Amino acid sequence: MKDYIATIVKNEKIAENVYAVTLDLGEPAKARCGQFGNLSVGGTHLLRRPIAICKIEGNTVTFCYQIKGEGTQRLKTLGVGEKLNVLMPLGNGFYVEETEKKVALVGGGVGVFPLISVLRQYGVDKEISAYIGYRNKGAVCGVEEFEKADKFTAVTDDGSYGEKMNAVQAFQADLAKGNRPDVVLACGPTPMLRALMKVTAEENLPCYVSLEERMGCGIGACLVCVCDMTDGKKARVCKDGPVFDACDVIL
Amino acid sequence: MANLSVKLCGVTLKNPVIAASGTYGFGREFNELYDIGQIGGVSTKGMTLEPRLGNPVPRIAESRGVILNAVGLQNPGVEHFIECDLEWLKSTGTAVIANVAGKTLEDYEKICARLDGLVDMVELNISCPNVKSGGMAFGIQPQSVEAVTRVAKSGAKNTPLIVKLSPNVESIATNAKAAENGGADCISLINTLTGMAIDIERRRPIIANNTGGVSGAGVKPVAVRMTYEASQAVSIPVIGMGGITCAEDAIEFLMAGATAVQVGTANFTDPYAMPKIIQGLNAWCDKHNVANVSDLTGTLQLNGR
Repeated sequence: MKDYIATIVKNEKIAENVYAVTLDLGEPAKARCGQFGNLSVGGTHLLRRPIAICKIEGNTVTFCYQIKGEGTQRLKTLGVGEKLNVLMPLGNGFYVEETEKKVALVGGGVGVFPLISVLRQYGVDKEISAYIGYRNKGAVCGVEEFEKADKFTAVTDDGSYGEKMNAVQAFQADLAKGNRPDVVLACGPTPMLRALMKVTAEENLPCYVSLEERMGCGIGACLVCVCDMTDGKKARVCKDGPVFDACDVIL
Repeated sequence: MANLSVKLCGVTLKNPVIAASGTYGFGREFNELYDIGQIGGVSTKGMTLEPRLGNPVPRIAESRGVILNAVGLQNPGVEHFIECDLEWLKSTGTAVIANVAGKTLEDYEKICARLDGLVDMVELNISCPNVKSGGMAFGIQPQSVEAVTRVAKSGAKNTPLIVKLSPNVESIATNAKAAENGGADCISLINTLTGMAIDIERRRPIIANNTGGVSGAGVKPVAVRMTYEASQAVSIPVIGMGGITCAEDAIEFLMAGATAVQVGTANFTDPYAMPKIIQGLNAWCDKHNVANVSDLTGTLQLNGR
Protein backbone atom coordinates (compact mmCIF):
# COMPACT_ATOMS: atom_id res chain seq x y z
CA MET A 1 0.00 0.00 0.00
CA LYS A 2 1.36 3.36 -1.04
CA ASP A 3 -0.05 6.82 -1.69
CA TYR A 4 0.96 7.63 -5.25
CA ILE A 5 0.87 11.07 -6.80
CA ALA A 6 -0.31 9.77 -10.14
CA THR A 7 -0.60 11.45 -13.52
CA ILE A 8 -3.74 11.03 -15.59
CA VAL A 9 -2.89 9.59 -18.98
CA LYS A 10 -6.46 8.95 -20.11
CA ASN A 11 -9.94 9.76 -18.77
CA GLU A 12 -12.77 8.93 -21.12
CA LYS A 13 -16.31 7.71 -21.41
CA ILE A 14 -16.65 3.97 -22.04
CA ALA A 15 -20.41 3.52 -21.67
CA GLU A 16 -23.50 5.47 -20.67
CA ASN A 17 -22.51 7.29 -17.45
CA VAL A 18 -19.34 5.18 -17.04
CA TYR A 19 -15.78 6.47 -17.41
CA ALA A 20 -12.33 4.91 -17.34
CA VAL A 21 -9.38 6.79 -15.90
CA THR A 22 -5.85 5.53 -16.48
CA LEU A 23 -3.14 6.72 -14.11
CA ASP A 24 0.61 6.60 -14.45
CA LEU A 25 2.10 5.77 -11.05
CA GLY A 26 5.68 6.56 -12.08
CA GLU A 27 6.76 3.04 -11.16
CA PRO A 28 5.52 -0.46 -11.93
CA ALA A 29 1.94 -0.79 -10.70
CA LYS A 30 1.35 -3.75 -8.42
CA ALA A 31 -1.97 -5.20 -7.32
CA ARG A 32 -3.82 -8.47 -7.36
CA CYS A 33 -7.21 -8.87 -8.95
CA GLY A 34 -10.13 -7.60 -6.90
CA GLN A 35 -8.11 -5.02 -4.98
CA PHE A 36 -9.00 -1.34 -5.10
CA GLY A 37 -7.54 2.13 -4.94
CA ASN A 38 -8.72 5.15 -2.94
CA LEU A 39 -8.68 8.14 -5.30
CA SER A 40 -8.59 11.76 -4.24
CA VAL A 41 -10.83 13.91 -6.44
CA GLY A 42 -9.79 17.26 -4.96
CA GLY A 43 -11.96 20.35 -4.71
CA THR A 44 -14.04 20.48 -1.55
CA HIS A 45 -14.16 16.70 -1.35
CA LEU A 46 -12.64 15.39 1.85
CA LEU A 47 -13.35 11.73 1.23
CA ARG A 48 -11.52 9.73 -1.37
CA ARG A 49 -13.42 7.51 -3.78
CA PRO A 50 -12.76 3.78 -3.41
CA ILE A 51 -12.75 2.26 -6.90
CA ALA A 52 -11.89 -1.26 -8.05
CA ILE A 53 -8.74 -1.81 -10.05
CA CYS A 54 -9.68 -2.90 -13.55
CA LYS A 55 -6.36 -3.14 -15.39
CA ILE A 56 -2.67 -2.99 -14.58
CA GLU A 57 -0.23 -2.42 -17.45
CA GLY A 58 3.38 -1.47 -16.71
CA ASN A 59 3.33 1.75 -14.73
CA THR A 60 -0.35 2.37 -15.33
CA VAL A 61 -3.53 1.37 -13.57
CA THR A 62 -7.05 1.80 -14.92
CA PHE A 63 -10.12 2.43 -12.80
CA CYS A 64 -13.65 2.46 -14.21
CA TYR A 65 -16.26 4.51 -12.42
CA GLN A 66 -19.90 5.35 -12.70
CA ILE A 67 -20.96 8.99 -12.36
CA LYS A 68 -22.95 8.91 -9.12
CA GLY A 69 -22.50 12.23 -7.36
CA GLU A 70 -20.39 15.37 -7.16
CA GLY A 71 -17.15 13.48 -6.51
CA THR A 72 -17.28 11.26 -9.59
CA GLN A 73 -18.67 14.22 -11.54
CA ARG A 74 -15.48 16.10 -10.65
CA LEU A 75 -13.24 13.11 -11.38
CA LYS A 76 -14.75 13.04 -14.86
CA THR A 77 -13.60 16.61 -15.53
CA LEU A 78 -9.92 15.93 -14.71
CA GLY A 79 -7.79 15.97 -17.84
CA VAL A 80 -4.71 14.25 -19.18
CA GLY A 81 -1.59 15.44 -17.37
CA GLU A 82 -3.41 16.41 -14.17
CA LYS A 83 -2.28 14.79 -10.93
CA LEU A 84 -4.32 12.92 -8.40
CA ASN A 85 -3.47 10.90 -5.32
CA VAL A 86 -4.27 7.23 -5.25
CA LEU A 87 -3.71 5.02 -2.24
CA MET A 88 -3.31 1.45 -3.46
CA PRO A 89 -3.47 -1.48 -3.58
CA LEU A 90 -6.10 -1.87 -0.86
CA GLY A 91 -8.16 -4.82 0.34
CA ASN A 92 -7.66 -8.55 -0.04
CA GLY A 93 -8.63 -9.29 -3.66
CA PHE A 94 -9.73 -12.52 -5.33
CA TYR A 95 -7.72 -15.75 -4.98
CA VAL A 96 -8.27 -18.84 -7.08
CA GLU A 97 -6.90 -22.08 -5.62
CA GLU A 98 -4.54 -24.31 -7.58
CA THR A 99 -7.19 -27.04 -7.61
CA GLU A 100 -9.91 -24.75 -8.96
CA LYS A 101 -9.55 -25.03 -12.72
CA LYS A 102 -12.96 -23.87 -13.91
CA VAL A 103 -13.89 -20.36 -12.80
CA ALA A 104 -17.23 -18.64 -13.30
CA LEU A 105 -17.36 -14.83 -13.20
CA VAL A 106 -20.79 -13.35 -12.45
CA GLY A 107 -21.06 -9.59 -12.65
CA GLY A 108 -23.45 -6.73 -13.08
CA GLY A 109 -23.31 -2.94 -13.26
CA VAL A 110 -19.98 -1.44 -12.22
CA GLY A 111 -19.22 -4.80 -10.61
CA VAL A 112 -17.95 -6.02 -13.96
CA PHE A 113 -14.67 -4.10 -13.67
CA PRO A 114 -12.99 -6.03 -10.84
CA LEU A 115 -13.92 -9.18 -12.76
CA ILE A 116 -11.89 -7.90 -15.72
CA SER A 117 -8.89 -7.83 -13.37
CA VAL A 118 -9.58 -11.51 -12.52
CA LEU A 119 -9.67 -12.42 -16.17
CA ARG A 120 -6.40 -10.61 -16.77
CA GLN A 121 -4.71 -12.38 -13.87
CA TYR A 122 -6.08 -15.90 -14.29
CA GLY A 123 -7.15 -15.96 -17.93
CA VAL A 124 -4.20 -18.05 -19.08
CA ASP A 125 -4.17 -20.67 -16.34
CA LYS A 126 -7.88 -21.17 -15.78
CA GLU A 127 -10.92 -22.01 -17.84
CA ILE A 128 -13.07 -18.95 -17.35
CA SER A 129 -16.75 -18.45 -18.12
CA ALA A 130 -18.07 -14.91 -17.71
CA TYR A 131 -21.77 -14.13 -17.17
CA ILE A 132 -22.19 -10.39 -17.35
CA GLY A 133 -25.43 -8.46 -16.95
CA TYR A 134 -25.99 -4.92 -18.15
CA ARG A 135 -28.98 -2.62 -17.77
CA ASN A 136 -29.27 -2.08 -21.52
CA LYS A 137 -27.19 -1.84 -24.68
CA GLY A 138 -25.93 1.65 -23.78
CA ALA A 139 -24.42 0.31 -20.55
CA VAL A 140 -22.45 -2.46 -22.24
CA CYS A 141 -18.71 -2.14 -21.71
CA GLY A 142 -15.61 -4.25 -21.25
CA VAL A 143 -16.71 -6.61 -24.04
CA GLU A 144 -13.26 -6.64 -25.67
CA GLU A 145 -11.87 -7.89 -22.35
CA PHE A 146 -14.56 -10.47 -21.59
CA GLU A 147 -14.30 -11.89 -25.09
CA LYS A 148 -10.87 -13.17 -24.07
CA ALA A 149 -12.61 -15.55 -21.63
CA ASP A 150 -13.18 -19.16 -22.66
CA LYS A 151 -16.87 -18.39 -22.64
CA PHE A 152 -18.65 -15.03 -22.44
CA THR A 153 -22.37 -14.55 -22.01
CA ALA A 154 -23.62 -10.96 -22.03
CA VAL A 155 -27.24 -10.28 -21.15
CA THR A 156 -29.35 -7.16 -20.55
CA ASP A 157 -32.36 -6.33 -18.40
CA ASP A 158 -34.31 -5.20 -21.46
CA GLY A 159 -32.95 -7.61 -24.07
CA SER A 160 -31.36 -4.82 -26.14
CA TYR A 161 -28.02 -6.68 -26.12
CA GLY A 162 -27.84 -10.46 -25.66
CA GLU A 163 -30.74 -12.27 -24.09
CA LYS A 164 -33.23 -10.57 -21.80
CA MET A 165 -32.27 -11.86 -18.38
CA ASN A 166 -29.88 -11.06 -15.55
CA ALA A 167 -26.38 -12.40 -14.96
CA VAL A 168 -27.48 -14.87 -12.29
CA GLN A 169 -30.12 -16.33 -14.60
CA ALA A 170 -27.51 -16.66 -17.35
CA PHE A 171 -25.20 -18.46 -14.94
CA GLN A 172 -28.03 -20.73 -13.76
CA ALA A 173 -29.01 -21.59 -17.32
CA ASP A 174 -25.47 -22.76 -18.05
CA LEU A 175 -25.33 -24.63 -14.77
CA ALA A 176 -28.51 -26.50 -15.79
CA LYS A 177 -26.70 -27.56 -18.97
CA GLY A 178 -24.03 -29.20 -16.84
CA ASN A 179 -21.37 -26.46 -17.01
CA ARG A 180 -20.37 -26.59 -13.39
CA PRO A 181 -17.45 -24.40 -12.28
CA ASP A 182 -15.10 -25.18 -9.41
CA VAL A 183 -15.52 -21.69 -8.01
CA VAL A 184 -17.72 -18.64 -8.61
CA LEU A 185 -16.37 -15.09 -8.30
CA ALA A 186 -18.88 -12.27 -8.31
CA CYS A 187 -19.33 -8.54 -8.04
CA GLY A 188 -22.40 -6.43 -8.60
CA PRO A 189 -25.49 -4.91 -7.00
CA THR A 190 -26.54 -6.42 -3.67
CA PRO A 191 -29.80 -7.98 -5.00
CA MET A 192 -27.75 -9.74 -7.69
CA LEU A 193 -25.26 -11.05 -5.15
CA ARG A 194 -28.08 -12.21 -2.88
CA ALA A 195 -29.70 -14.14 -5.71
CA LEU A 196 -26.38 -15.67 -6.68
CA MET A 197 -25.49 -16.65 -3.13
CA LYS A 198 -28.81 -18.51 -2.89
CA VAL A 199 -27.97 -20.49 -6.03
CA THR A 200 -24.38 -21.30 -5.03
CA ALA A 201 -25.51 -22.33 -1.54
CA GLU A 202 -28.12 -24.70 -2.99
CA GLU A 203 -25.61 -26.08 -5.48
CA ASN A 204 -22.90 -26.30 -2.85
CA LEU A 205 -20.53 -24.26 -5.03
CA PRO A 206 -17.69 -22.22 -3.52
CA CYS A 207 -18.50 -18.57 -4.12
CA TYR A 208 -16.63 -15.36 -3.37
CA VAL A 209 -18.32 -11.98 -3.56
CA SER A 210 -16.78 -8.52 -3.74
CA LEU A 211 -18.77 -5.97 -1.74
CA GLU A 212 -19.19 -2.23 -2.00
CA GLU A 213 -19.77 0.17 0.87
CA ARG A 214 -19.32 3.86 1.63
CA MET A 215 -15.83 4.18 3.11
CA GLY A 216 -13.92 6.58 5.34
CA CYS A 217 -10.20 5.82 5.58
CA GLY A 218 -10.13 2.85 3.19
CA ILE A 219 -7.43 1.10 5.23
CA GLY A 220 -9.34 -0.44 8.13
CA ALA A 221 -8.98 2.19 10.83
CA CYS A 222 -12.30 3.98 11.01
CA LEU A 223 -14.88 1.14 11.00
CA VAL A 224 -17.20 3.00 8.64
CA CYS A 225 -17.60 0.37 5.90
CA VAL A 226 -18.67 -2.73 7.77
CA CYS A 227 -20.75 -5.72 6.73
CA ASP A 228 -22.54 -8.37 8.80
CA MET A 229 -20.90 -11.75 9.19
CA THR A 230 -22.65 -15.07 9.82
CA ASP A 231 -20.75 -15.42 13.12
CA GLY A 232 -22.52 -12.31 14.44
CA LYS A 233 -19.47 -10.10 14.06
CA LYS A 234 -18.82 -7.19 11.70
CA ALA A 235 -16.09 -7.17 9.10
CA ARG A 236 -14.43 -4.18 7.47
CA VAL A 237 -15.18 -4.17 3.75
CA CYS A 238 -12.02 -2.16 2.99
CA LYS A 239 -9.53 -4.24 4.98
CA ASP A 240 -11.05 -7.68 5.64
CA GLY A 241 -12.66 -7.56 2.17
CA PRO A 242 -13.82 -6.36 -0.25
CA VAL A 243 -13.87 -10.05 -1.24
CA PHE A 244 -15.63 -12.42 1.14
CA ASP A 245 -16.51 -16.09 1.11
CA ALA A 246 -20.24 -16.05 0.41
CA CYS A 247 -20.72 -18.44 3.36
CA ASP A 248 -19.33 -15.84 5.78
CA VAL A 249 -21.38 -12.74 4.97
CA ILE A 250 -25.01 -11.75 5.35
CA LEU A 251 -26.23 -9.39 2.66
CA MET B 1 14.76 23.10 14.23
CA ALA B 2 12.12 24.36 16.64
CA ASN B 3 11.30 22.55 19.85
CA LEU B 4 7.93 20.98 19.09
CA SER B 5 7.47 19.16 22.39
CA VAL B 6 4.63 20.19 24.66
CA LYS B 7 3.71 19.28 28.20
CA LEU B 8 0.16 18.26 28.84
CA CYS B 9 -0.82 17.53 32.48
CA GLY B 10 2.67 16.25 33.22
CA VAL B 11 2.85 14.14 30.08
CA THR B 12 5.45 15.22 27.53
CA LEU B 13 4.38 14.86 23.92
CA LYS B 14 7.00 14.89 21.14
CA ASN B 15 4.85 17.39 19.35
CA PRO B 16 1.35 18.83 19.81
CA VAL B 17 -0.27 16.71 17.08
CA ILE B 18 -2.59 13.93 18.27
CA ALA B 19 -4.68 11.55 16.18
CA ALA B 20 -8.36 12.18 16.89
CA SER B 21 -10.44 9.33 18.23
CA GLY B 22 -12.36 7.26 15.69
CA THR B 23 -10.30 8.17 12.66
CA TYR B 24 -7.18 6.22 13.52
CA GLY B 25 -8.29 2.94 15.11
CA PHE B 26 -5.51 1.90 17.47
CA GLY B 27 -2.85 3.09 15.03
CA ARG B 28 -1.95 -0.21 13.38
CA GLU B 29 -3.26 0.60 9.90
CA PHE B 30 -1.55 3.99 9.70
CA ASN B 31 1.65 2.40 10.98
CA GLU B 32 1.71 0.45 7.71
CA LEU B 33 2.11 3.82 5.97
CA TYR B 34 4.51 5.57 8.35
CA ASP B 35 6.06 5.16 11.79
CA ILE B 36 3.32 6.43 14.11
CA GLY B 37 5.94 6.90 16.82
CA GLN B 38 6.57 10.32 15.28
CA ILE B 39 3.02 11.43 16.18
CA GLY B 40 2.60 13.31 19.46
CA GLY B 41 -0.21 11.06 20.64
CA VAL B 42 -2.96 8.73 19.56
CA SER B 43 -6.46 9.01 20.96
CA THR B 44 -7.85 5.52 20.43
CA LYS B 45 -11.13 4.48 18.91
CA GLY B 46 -13.82 5.16 21.54
CA MET B 47 -14.04 2.16 23.84
CA THR B 48 -16.71 0.77 26.12
CA LEU B 49 -16.57 -1.89 28.84
CA GLU B 50 -18.23 -4.44 26.56
CA PRO B 51 -17.72 -4.83 22.79
CA ARG B 52 -20.23 -2.93 20.65
CA LEU B 53 -21.34 -3.55 17.07
CA GLY B 54 -22.26 0.03 16.23
CA ASN B 55 -24.84 1.38 13.81
CA PRO B 56 -26.13 -0.01 10.50
CA VAL B 57 -24.50 1.19 7.26
CA PRO B 58 -24.20 3.62 5.53
CA ARG B 59 -22.25 5.25 8.32
CA ILE B 60 -20.69 8.09 6.37
CA ALA B 61 -21.66 10.84 3.94
CA GLU B 62 -19.98 13.84 2.41
CA SER B 63 -21.10 17.42 2.06
CA ARG B 64 -19.03 20.28 0.66
CA GLY B 65 -16.00 20.78 2.88
CA VAL B 66 -17.25 18.40 5.57
CA ILE B 67 -18.19 14.81 6.22
CA LEU B 68 -20.84 13.27 8.44
CA ASN B 69 -20.37 10.02 10.30
CA ALA B 70 -22.40 7.80 12.55
CA VAL B 71 -20.32 4.74 13.34
CA GLY B 72 -22.00 4.34 16.70
CA LEU B 73 -19.05 3.38 18.88
CA GLN B 74 -18.31 0.03 17.29
CA ASN B 75 -15.37 -1.25 19.32
CA PRO B 76 -13.92 -4.53 20.58
CA GLY B 77 -14.25 -3.57 24.25
CA VAL B 78 -11.65 -2.27 26.67
CA GLU B 79 -10.33 -5.71 27.65
CA HIS B 80 -9.52 -6.52 24.03
CA PHE B 81 -7.63 -3.25 23.79
CA ILE B 82 -5.62 -3.97 26.92
CA GLU B 83 -4.87 -7.50 25.79
CA CYS B 84 -4.17 -6.95 22.08
CA ASP B 85 -3.27 -3.35 21.31
CA LEU B 86 -2.02 -1.47 24.36
CA GLU B 87 1.52 -2.81 24.61
CA TRP B 88 2.07 -2.51 20.89
CA LEU B 89 0.76 1.06 20.79
CA LYS B 90 3.00 2.04 23.72
CA SER B 91 5.99 0.44 22.03
CA THR B 92 5.65 2.79 19.06
CA GLY B 93 6.66 5.69 21.30
CA THR B 94 3.53 7.77 20.78
CA ALA B 95 1.54 8.92 23.80
CA VAL B 96 -1.43 6.62 24.37
CA ILE B 97 -4.73 8.34 25.08
CA ALA B 98 -7.59 5.93 25.75
CA ASN B 99 -10.89 7.38 24.56
CA VAL B 100 -13.77 5.92 26.58
CA ALA B 101 -17.56 6.07 26.63
CA GLY B 102 -20.30 4.57 28.72
CA LYS B 103 -24.03 4.30 29.20
CA THR B 104 -24.10 5.01 32.90
CA LEU B 105 -22.02 6.92 35.43
CA GLU B 106 -20.93 3.58 36.81
CA ASP B 107 -19.63 2.54 33.36
CA TYR B 108 -17.46 5.65 33.24
CA GLU B 109 -16.03 5.00 36.68
CA LYS B 110 -15.31 1.35 35.89
CA ILE B 111 -13.65 1.88 32.53
CA CYS B 112 -11.51 4.73 33.89
CA ALA B 113 -10.46 2.61 36.87
CA ARG B 114 -9.58 -0.28 34.53
CA LEU B 115 -7.29 1.94 32.45
CA ASP B 116 -5.84 3.89 35.38
CA GLY B 117 -2.07 3.69 35.30
CA LEU B 118 -2.03 1.71 32.05
CA VAL B 119 -2.23 4.59 29.56
CA ASP B 120 -0.73 8.07 29.37
CA MET B 121 -4.10 9.80 29.47
CA VAL B 122 -7.79 8.99 29.40
CA GLU B 123 -10.15 10.99 27.20
CA LEU B 124 -13.77 11.00 28.22
CA ASN B 125 -16.24 10.83 25.37
CA ILE B 126 -19.36 12.44 26.80
CA SER B 127 -20.41 13.82 23.50
CA CYS B 128 -20.87 11.06 20.97
CA PRO B 129 -23.87 12.27 19.00
CA ASN B 130 -24.45 8.96 17.26
CA VAL B 131 -25.69 6.57 19.89
CA LYS B 132 -28.70 6.97 22.12
CA SER B 133 -26.67 6.09 25.16
CA GLY B 134 -23.17 7.06 24.08
CA GLY B 135 -22.59 9.65 26.68
CA MET B 136 -24.19 12.53 24.77
CA ALA B 137 -26.73 12.68 27.56
CA PHE B 138 -23.87 13.56 29.92
CA GLY B 139 -22.31 16.10 27.61
CA ILE B 140 -25.07 18.67 27.27
CA GLN B 141 -25.95 20.09 30.68
CA PRO B 142 -23.10 21.58 32.74
CA GLN B 143 -24.38 19.79 35.86
CA SER B 144 -24.06 16.38 34.22
CA VAL B 145 -20.71 17.28 32.63
CA GLU B 146 -19.41 18.01 36.10
CA ALA B 147 -20.99 14.88 37.58
CA VAL B 148 -19.62 12.47 34.97
CA THR B 149 -16.19 14.10 35.17
CA ARG B 150 -16.11 13.69 38.94
CA VAL B 151 -17.10 10.02 38.72
CA ALA B 152 -14.57 9.34 35.93
CA LYS B 153 -11.81 11.05 37.89
CA SER B 154 -12.57 8.85 40.87
CA GLY B 155 -11.71 5.94 38.53
CA ALA B 156 -8.73 7.51 36.79
CA LYS B 157 -7.07 8.53 40.05
CA ASN B 158 -3.49 8.45 38.78
CA THR B 159 -4.00 9.18 35.11
CA PRO B 160 -4.62 12.61 33.61
CA LEU B 161 -8.25 12.91 32.55
CA ILE B 162 -9.27 14.79 29.40
CA VAL B 163 -12.95 15.63 29.00
CA LYS B 164 -13.98 15.92 25.36
CA LEU B 165 -16.68 18.54 24.99
CA SER B 166 -19.65 18.60 22.68
CA PRO B 167 -20.19 21.73 20.59
CA ASN B 168 -23.94 21.04 20.53
CA VAL B 169 -24.49 22.99 23.75
CA GLU B 170 -25.76 26.33 25.00
CA SER B 171 -22.42 27.62 26.32
CA ILE B 172 -19.08 25.97 25.63
CA ALA B 173 -17.44 28.16 28.29
CA THR B 174 -19.89 27.00 30.95
CA ASN B 175 -19.37 23.35 30.06
CA ALA B 176 -15.60 23.77 30.00
CA LYS B 177 -15.76 25.26 33.47
CA ALA B 178 -18.05 22.44 34.60
CA ALA B 179 -15.48 19.86 33.50
CA GLU B 180 -12.76 21.72 35.34
CA ASN B 181 -14.91 21.90 38.48
CA GLY B 182 -15.53 18.15 38.20
CA GLY B 183 -11.80 17.50 38.36
CA ALA B 184 -10.79 17.30 34.70
CA ASP B 185 -7.06 17.69 34.12
CA CYS B 186 -7.59 18.86 30.56
CA ILE B 187 -10.40 19.47 28.08
CA SER B 188 -10.54 18.69 24.37
CA LEU B 189 -12.93 20.17 21.82
CA ILE B 190 -14.80 20.13 19.60
CA ASN B 191 -16.48 16.79 19.09
CA THR B 192 -18.63 16.68 15.96
CA LEU B 193 -21.59 18.95 15.28
CA THR B 194 -24.84 17.09 14.75
CA GLY B 195 -25.97 17.24 11.13
CA MET B 196 -27.99 15.61 8.36
CA ALA B 197 -27.42 15.01 4.64
CA ILE B 198 -30.30 13.96 2.40
CA ASP B 199 -30.39 11.80 -0.71
CA ILE B 200 -33.03 13.78 -2.59
CA GLU B 201 -33.79 10.97 -5.05
CA ARG B 202 -34.78 8.67 -2.21
CA ARG B 203 -36.00 11.47 0.06
CA ARG B 204 -34.12 9.85 2.90
CA PRO B 205 -31.06 10.74 4.95
CA ILE B 206 -27.90 9.20 3.44
CA ILE B 207 -26.72 7.89 6.79
CA ALA B 208 -28.68 4.94 8.22
CA ASN B 209 -28.71 6.65 11.61
CA ASN B 210 -30.40 9.67 9.93
CA THR B 211 -28.14 12.17 11.68
CA GLY B 212 -24.37 12.12 11.94
CA GLY B 213 -21.49 14.05 13.39
CA VAL B 214 -20.17 16.78 11.10
CA SER B 215 -16.39 17.19 10.89
CA GLY B 216 -13.72 18.30 8.47
CA ALA B 217 -12.31 21.54 7.08
CA GLY B 218 -15.66 23.35 7.04
CA VAL B 219 -16.16 23.22 10.81
CA LYS B 220 -12.84 24.87 11.63
CA PRO B 221 -14.00 28.45 12.30
CA VAL B 222 -16.61 27.18 14.75
CA ALA B 223 -14.01 24.99 16.44
CA VAL B 224 -11.44 27.79 16.70
CA ARG B 225 -14.01 30.11 18.24
CA MET B 226 -15.05 27.49 20.77
CA THR B 227 -11.43 26.62 21.59
CA TYR B 228 -10.84 30.29 22.32
CA GLU B 229 -13.95 30.64 24.51
CA ALA B 230 -13.24 27.44 26.42
CA SER B 231 -9.59 28.27 27.02
CA GLN B 232 -10.57 31.68 28.36
CA ALA B 233 -12.93 30.00 30.83
CA VAL B 234 -10.55 27.47 32.38
CA SER B 235 -7.02 27.30 33.75
CA ILE B 236 -6.44 23.64 32.75
CA PRO B 237 -4.86 22.89 29.34
CA VAL B 238 -7.00 22.67 26.23
CA ILE B 239 -6.67 20.38 23.21
CA GLY B 240 -8.21 21.96 20.12
CA MET B 241 -9.64 20.17 17.13
CA GLY B 242 -12.11 20.54 14.29
CA GLY B 243 -11.17 20.67 10.64
CA ILE B 244 -7.39 20.85 11.02
CA THR B 245 -5.88 20.03 7.63
CA CYS B 246 -2.46 21.71 7.65
CA ALA B 247 0.10 23.22 10.03
CA GLU B 248 -1.38 26.70 9.64
CA ASP B 249 -4.75 25.39 10.84
CA ALA B 250 -3.09 23.83 13.88
CA ILE B 251 -1.36 27.14 14.67
CA GLU B 252 -4.73 28.91 14.73
CA PHE B 253 -5.88 26.55 17.47
CA LEU B 254 -2.65 27.00 19.43
CA MET B 255 -2.96 30.77 19.26
CA ALA B 256 -6.60 30.51 20.31
CA GLY B 257 -5.45 28.84 23.50
CA ALA B 258 -4.79 25.16 22.78
CA THR B 259 -1.69 23.40 24.09
CA ALA B 260 -2.10 20.56 21.62
CA VAL B 261 -4.37 19.70 18.71
CA GLN B 262 -6.09 16.65 17.29
CA VAL B 263 -6.42 15.73 13.64
CA GLY B 264 -9.26 13.52 12.45
CA THR B 265 -11.00 13.84 9.12
CA ALA B 266 -7.80 15.04 7.39
CA ASN B 267 -6.42 11.51 7.90
CA PHE B 268 -9.04 10.30 5.41
CA THR B 269 -8.29 12.94 2.80
CA ASP B 270 -4.54 12.43 3.09
CA PRO B 271 -3.29 9.49 5.13
CA TYR B 272 -0.01 11.37 5.62
CA ALA B 273 -1.76 14.50 6.95
CA MET B 274 -0.30 14.28 10.46
CA PRO B 275 3.38 13.79 9.57
CA LYS B 276 2.97 16.68 7.12
CA ILE B 277 1.40 18.90 9.80
CA ILE B 278 4.28 18.15 12.18
CA GLN B 279 6.83 19.05 9.49
CA GLY B 280 4.84 22.16 8.66
CA LEU B 281 4.77 23.27 12.31
CA ASN B 282 8.53 23.00 12.45
CA ALA B 283 8.95 24.97 9.24
CA TRP B 284 6.53 27.69 10.36
CA CYS B 285 8.22 28.07 13.73
CA ASP B 286 11.65 28.30 12.11
CA LYS B 287 10.46 30.87 9.65
CA HIS B 288 8.87 32.98 12.40
CA ASN B 289 11.72 32.58 14.89
CA VAL B 290 9.56 30.67 17.35
CA ALA B 291 11.90 28.55 19.45
CA ASN B 292 9.23 26.48 21.18
CA VAL B 293 5.90 25.62 19.66
CA SER B 294 4.45 25.87 23.18
CA ASP B 295 5.21 29.61 23.06
CA LEU B 296 2.35 30.00 20.58
CA THR B 297 -0.36 28.87 22.98
CA GLY B 298 -2.84 31.60 23.80
CA THR B 299 -0.95 34.35 21.98
CA LEU B 300 -4.05 35.52 20.14
CA GLN B 301 -4.77 39.23 20.50
CA LEU B 302 -8.31 40.29 19.78
CA ASN B 303 -8.94 43.29 17.57
CA GLY B 304 -9.93 46.44 19.39
CA ARG B 305 -13.48 47.61 19.06
